[in-house]
Amino acid sequence: MNRDFKKRDRELEERISRDYQRMVKECDLHLDLMERELPPPIEPLVEQLESSGISRRSFMKWSAATTAALMLPPIFKSRVARAAEQFGRVPVVWLHFAECTGCSEALLRTSYPNIDDLILETLSLEYHETLMAAAGYQAEENLEKALHDFPGKFICVIEGALPTGLNGKYLTLGAKGRTGMEIAREVTSKAAAVICIGSCSSFGNVQAAKPNPTDAKGISDALGIQTVNIPGCPPNPINFIGTILHYLMFGALPPLDSLGRPIWAYGKRIHDYCERRPHYDAGEFVEEWGDSGAQKGWCLYKMGCKGPYTYANCAKVRFNDGVSWPIMGGHGCMGCVEPNFWDTMAPLEKPIAEKTFGGGEKTVDDIGKILAGVTAAGIATHGTVSYIKRHNQKDFAKPEDEV
Amino acid sequence: MPDIKMKKEWWLSIRLIHWSVVISVFTLLISGFYIATPITFGSGATPDKFYMGNIRSIHTFFGAFLTFLMLWRAYLGLFAKFHARWTDLLAWTDLDNLITQIRFYLLLSEKKPSHRYQYGPLQALAYNGLIFLQIMIILTGLIMVGANIHAGLSLWLGNFLKPVEIAMGGLAGVRMIHHIIAWGFILFIMVHVYMAVWIDIVYKEGTISSMISGRVFRKAE
Repeated sequence: MNRDFKKRDRELEERISRDYQRMVKECDLHLDLMERELPPPIEPLVEQLESSGISRRSFMKWSAATTAALMLPPIFKSRVARAAEQFGRVPVVWLHFAECTGCSEALLRTSYPNIDDLILETLSLEYHETLMAAAGYQAEENLEKALHDFPGKFICVIEGALPTGLNGKYLTLGAKGRTGMEIAREVTSKAAAVICIGSCSSFGNVQAAKPNPTDAKGISDALGIQTVNIPGCPPNPINFIGTILHYLMFGALPPLDSLGRPIWAYGKRIHDYCERRPHYDAGEFVEEWGDSGAQKGWCLYKMGCKGPYTYANCAKVRFNDGVSWPIMGGHGCMGCVEPNFWDTMAPLEKPIAEKTFGGGEKTVDDIGKILAGVTAAGIATHGTVSYIKRHNQKDFAKPEDEV
Repeated sequence: MPDIKMKKEWWLSIRLIHWSVVISVFTLLISGFYIATPITFGSGATPDKFYMGNIRSIHTFFGAFLTFLMLWRAYLGLFAKFHARWTDLLAWTDLDNLITQIRFYLLLSEKKPSHRYQYGPLQALAYNGLIFLQIMIILTGLIMVGANIHAGLSLWLGNFLKPVEIAMGGLAGVRMIHHIIAWGFILFIMVHVYMAVWIDIVYKEGTISSMISGRVFRKAE
């Protein structure tokens, strides 16, 4: 028996190492191909790092962390570093629709630039409405040029939902006044891949929350195409960078879950990797903001944490160079990576059991108690009437067996 | 003195299932409401406590037990040699009998509905509803177990039921539906117990004790 297990273990190990070797070979081939086919980065990453005073050593540490986040074996560390250096080769067209530009802001603005930010700065942005210098017809020309120069090769990154009501007329953009729907349809049809960054473009977010007057939808719903969704409000830069790195290394987008989210980033629940989880299982909850439990870092479930319903890697990779993340900061998760979270996760600072229905102030338990009360009243009435009726019957006094 | 005969109404497995369901549903309701709005246990060190974890384990265990009981009852409904056929659930299709029973229950008429069926027509309708509630609560429960325990059958079921989870609006929606159905069970229990007592008094057939002894006392017709 024991020998069987050992044999099986050995076979498994051999298969895994064979698979990894194959993956490594594919990865190297694809990185070579990328270097041959795509133009070199305008600003090489090495120079960027040097000018920002980031050592090679920090960069290698970053590569190791990113390799782990991507759930790849350590042998890929050097490949991740190489892919990060090639990051600037991928032409990107970045579109903005109904949104707040918060995702771009979150990716581009930090108190000090970290490696994620620097890599994003090397991105070969052919068109980005917030960052480009061009305006009006010139801007439109840039977009047309990008579509003409890199047909089927550029990556289309979309930020923002598409209002589909009134034939898309709630959102018109640019000098030619085209609707978001028209632009999105044209650009996505020529892109190698469509990456939706943020919850707006992924699932509609607040624009699509009830009552959704503009009939806003996520890109894949609005256009009926398959997109890679990087939801979050805003998403973690590592999830976006990792997805592009995967594309660079393997020439394909990473495996996606049924909502189009990369499994390596959105495959596990916040709750299962939360540092406050032991307090949840122990039954130690924060009862109100600033109480002794909050000071001790207890579980935020009763303060409306939606970690148990949310699939994301925030707890593992955290934000801003792994400094902190919402639950660590003392506020519950609000489930911003899930579809329609404004509706399904409400109320955001109370447990979901206190969700109210029908615009009123009644929770499920309130409604249940009312229904139980009505049922009890019905039972009491029925019982009383039955009793009175039996009393009024003439033969009531006689037991039935004597009739 | 009318001729009263003892008639076997509920076979042993049906009685066992009935009382096992009673125990699991009550345990599930209590533990479930605790999980929805837990109490903080402030005293003591964190490593010594596992209240929420234990209560969730109990909830999961009895949920699995309820699933097993439902499968057992479904098996009996399909293949039992004794009286436990699924066709009993169609008693309400006899509309004349249904109307007779509604009039009798609303105390409008003294005419009792026919004894031809194992269940009364309204009872059959209520059980159809109960089966629907049970399937839904088990389905939503399995989805949540799948999200919790990333191994074995629960993991497989969680992945298998992923489209259902998404159709229900993610885990938050699944949890909401689970909670709403729990209230359906409470309402069912209230009416079910009252009707059993009422029928026990009005029919004088020993309805309540029949779920323990298995026998009713019925006048020969």
